[in-house]
Amino acid sequence: MFRLIITRVFLGFATLFAVTLLIFAATEILPGDVASAVLGQGATPDTLAAFRIELGLDRPAYVRYLEWLTNALQGDLGVAMTNKREVLDTITPRLYNTLFLAGYAAAIAVPIAIILGITAAINEGKWIDRAANIVTLGAISVPEFFIAYILILVFATNLGWFPSLSTVYSDMGFWQKIHVVALPALTLTMLVMAHMLRMTRASVLAIMSQPYIEMAFLKGLPRKRVILHHALPNAAAPIISVVALNLAYLIVGVVVIEVVFVYPGVGQYMVDGVSKRDLPVIQACALVFGSAFVLLNTIADILAILLNPRLRHPR
Amino acid sequence: MEDFSKKLKDAELLATRSGGSRRDFMQLAIMTGLSVSAASAMFSKAEAAETPKKGGTFRIGMEGGSATDSLDPRTYADSVMIAASLAVYDSMIEFDNAGNPTGALLESWEARPGAVEWIFNVRQGIKFSNGKTLDADDVLYSIGIHRGEDTKSPAKGILEQIIDIKAVTPSQISITLSSGNADFPVILGDYHLIVVPNGFTDWENPVGTGAYNLASFEPGVRLVFENRGDYWIEGRANFDRVELLNIQDVAARTAALQSGQVDAVNRLDARTVDLMTGNNALSIVRTKGTGNRFCFVSRVTSPGFENKDLRLALKWGIDREKIINSVYSGYAVPGNDHTLDAFNPYYNTNMPQRAYDPDKAAYHFKKSGLSGEITLSTSEGAWGSAVDCAQLYQESMSKAGITLNVKKESADGYWDNVWLKEPFCAVYWGRRLSADQTFTQVYGSGSDWNDSDWRVPAFDRLVEEARVELDEVKRKEQYFECQEMIAEDGGMVCFAITDYLDGYSSKVKGVQPHARYDLDDNRIASKAWFA
Repeated sequence: MFRLIITRVFLGFATLFAVTLLIFAATEILPGDVASAVLGQGATPDTLAAFRIELGLDRPAYVRYLEWLTNALQGDLGVAMTNKREVLDTITPRLYNTLFLAGYAAAIAVPIAIILGITAAINEGKWIDRAANIVTLGAISVPEFFIAYILILVFATNLGWFPSLSTVYSDMGFWQKIHVVALPALTLTMLVMAHMLRMTRASVLAIMSQPYIEMAFLKGLPRKRVILHHALPNAAAPIISVVALNLAYLIVGVVVIEVVFVYPGVGQYMVDGVSKRDLPVIQACALVFGSAFVLLNTIADILAILLNPRLRHPR
Repeated sequence: MEDFSKKLKDAELLATRSGGSRRDFMQLAIMTGLSVSAASAMFSKAEAAETPKKGGTFRIGMEGGSATDSLDPRTYADSVMIAASLAVYDSMIEFDNAGNPTGALLESWEARPGAVEWIFNVRQGIKFSNGKTLDADDVLYSIGIHRGEDTKSPAKGILEQIIDIKAVTPSQISITLSSGNADFPVILGDYHLIVVPNGFTDWENPVGTGAYNLASFEPGVRLVFENRGDYWIEGRANFDRVELLNIQDVAARTAALQSGQVDAVNRLDARTVDLMTGNNALSIVRTKGTGNRFCFVSRVTSPGFENKDLRLALKWGIDREKIINSVYSGYAVPGNDHTLDAFNPYYNTNMPQRAYDPDKAAYHFKKSGLSGEITLSTSEGAWGSAVDCAQLYQESMSKAGITLNVKKESADGYWDNVWLKEPFCAVYWGRRLSADQTFTQVYGSGSDWNDSDWRVPAFDRLVEEARVELDEVKRKEQYFECQEMIAEDGGMVCFAITDYLDGYSSKVKGVQPHARYDLDDNRIASKAWFA
C-alpha cells in the first residue's frame, strides 16, 4: 500500500513538471506579444522594440523556460511585465480569496451533497430521491451567471440581505467576509451539488447490487445499516474523486462568478494577464491552477487507497 | 401629461446638477410647453441652490481597469487609471465641457505666428503632496518621460513634433515644433501627460498636485484616495475619501448602483438604461455622440469602389435611424460620414445630416453603371454588434434594389486580416484629441491607418493650412470644407456615434456631460459633491 502511495505522489510531481512545460509552450504560442498588447494604439515600431528588449523577449525560449522554472521552484514568480509588481505579492492575497470562496462553497456543498446522495440512495425512487435530483439537476442546467443574477436580483436588489458586490479587502473581519461572499458561495454550491450528489447516489446503488450486500440483507440487517456500514466504505473511492474534482473546479473554474460578483480571485487576475499578454502573470496563475488540480487529485487518490478496505487489509 | 412632467423633471434635474447650460434647460423646458420666461425663472431658481458641499465618502464603480494597472502614466490605456490619475495628479491642460482647452497647471499660452513656437506659463503657488512647489522643470520632466529613444509611452507619437523644449524662466516654458500646429495645447491635454516632480520615479507612491492622496491601490480591485486639503481649484476636491472600485461586468455595475453600494458608475448598458430612468433614487447623465464612431469603410482604390456614385449609393442606402433605434436603443446619434463628433468645436453644423433615401441610393447605383452584389465584411471582432448593424444595412439596401452580401469574418485577428485589406468592411474609430488629429490620422495621405485609402492632395493641403491657421473664423471654414470633402467623396459610411451613459445616485451633484470622456471627463472625483 505504501508503494502505491509513493508511486502516486511521484506521479503527481511528474504531472506537475509536464504541466510547467505545457504552460510555457502555451504562452509561447499565444498570438501577439505583451509589447503590442500593452502599448495598443500608441505602439510604434520604436516603442515596441524598446519594450521587447526591456522585457527580455529577445532571448531564446528554452533559456527563459529554465530561468522561469528555477525561479518558480525558489518561490520567485517574477515581476508582472505590465505594472512591474511582484507576481507573488499580487497572487498570494488573490489565491487566499479564491481558496476562501472555494472553501466556503465546499463547506456548504460537500456535506449537503453527500448526505442528500446517501439519503436518495436509501430512499431510491421515493419522493425525496426525486426531489433532490430535480432540484440539483435544475440548478446545473442553467448557466452559472443566470443563477448569479437571479440571486443578486432577489437577495441584493430586492431584499437587500446581502451585497451584490462581493469584493473582499484585507481589512475585513472573518464574519464580515462570510456575509459579503454569501451570494457567490451560494451560487457555487448550486453548481457543484448535482455532480457530487448523483455520484454518491450512483456509487452507493452500484455497490448495493453486490453479493455481499445481499448477504447482509439476508442476515436481517436494516437497509440503513447495510448502506452506512457495508456499502458506503466501498463506495468511498468514486465519491472522494468526484468531490476532489469539484473542489478543483471551485478553485480553477469560477472566473465567471468572480466577474459577476466582482470577487478578486486568481481567475480574474489570469484573464487580465491573458488580455495584456503578461506572461509571468499567466504562467504564475496557470501554475497555481495546475498545482491545485494535481494536488487535489493526488490527495483524492491517496485517500481512496487508504479507505479502500481491500487495500487496507490485504490477504 | 405624464410625458410632460417627466420631461420637466428631467430638465430640472439637468439644471440642479448644474448639468446643462441655460440653453439646454430652456430647450428641454420649452419642449414641454412652458413659456420662455417661466422656464428662464425656473433655471435661475434651480441653479441658485448650487454651492458645492464638502464631505463624505464617494464610491465609484468603473469598467476599464485591470489587475495589470499601474500609476505610471506611460501605461495608461483605459478609464479606471485615467480617473485615478486625475485624482492624484493634475494635467497640464484641461478641457471645458464644450471640449475647448483651458489652463490647468499650464495656466496660459501664446503662439508666435505660424504656430511653430509656443510659450506656456506655469501656474504659480501650486504645491505637490510632498511639499515641493511646482516650477517649469517639473513640467519639462513630466513631458520628457514620454519622449526620447527608449520610452515606451503611447504619447511618444503625438510629442514627436516637439524639436525643442526648454524653461525660459522658472515659470515659463518655450516649445518649438517641427512644423506649425495651432492645436498644440490640445495635444498637451492628452491623458498620459500629467505632472510629477522633477526626477520622480516611484510610481507605487505617487506624488502629485491633485486633489487627493493615494491611500491604497490593489490593481484591478480598488483604489482609495484621501483628501489632502487645500486644492487650488475652488469648488473641487469635495469628498473626504474616494473609493474607485473596478467592476467590469455591466450588470454588476448596474446592480451595485441600484442597491446603493456605489454612488456612480460609468458605461451603463443602453438596452437596460430605460428601466432605470423611472427610479427617483438614480439619475442618468447622457453625453450624446462622443463615444465610438461606427463605420462601414470601403477602400476607394478597390475595383468598383473607385466609382464615386457607388460610394454615394452606399451612403444613401443605410438606414441610420433604424440601426440606432434597434441596435443601440436610441442611445447614439447618426454619423454624417466622417468621424468628427458634434462636440468638436469645428464640427460642420451647416452640412445637412444624411438620411436614408432608397431612391437616391438606387439612382446613384444605376448611375455608377455597376451591377451584381456588393460584399461587406463584418465580424463581432470589429465591435459587438457589427453583424447586427450589417444585417440591417443589408435590409435597407435591398429596398433600394442593391444586393449587399454580408460576409461574417472570424473575430480573432479581425484587425490584422480584414481591416485595411478587404475592400468594404466594418470599422470603429475612437475620438481623437483634435480635428487636426482626426483628419490627419483617419484621412491623411500619409497615415498608415487611412482605411478608406482615400488620399486626396487637395484635402491634405487644406488640413495643413488649417493646422497653422490662428484665425478661428478662417480655420472653421477650412475644417468645414474638410468634412464636406470626406462626406461627399470619401469611402466611409459613418452611421452612428454612441452616447456615454453614466449612472449616479441622486445625491451626487456637480457632474455634467463632457465633450471628451464620460464621468465628467473622468474628473468626477474632484468635480462632484454630495447634496
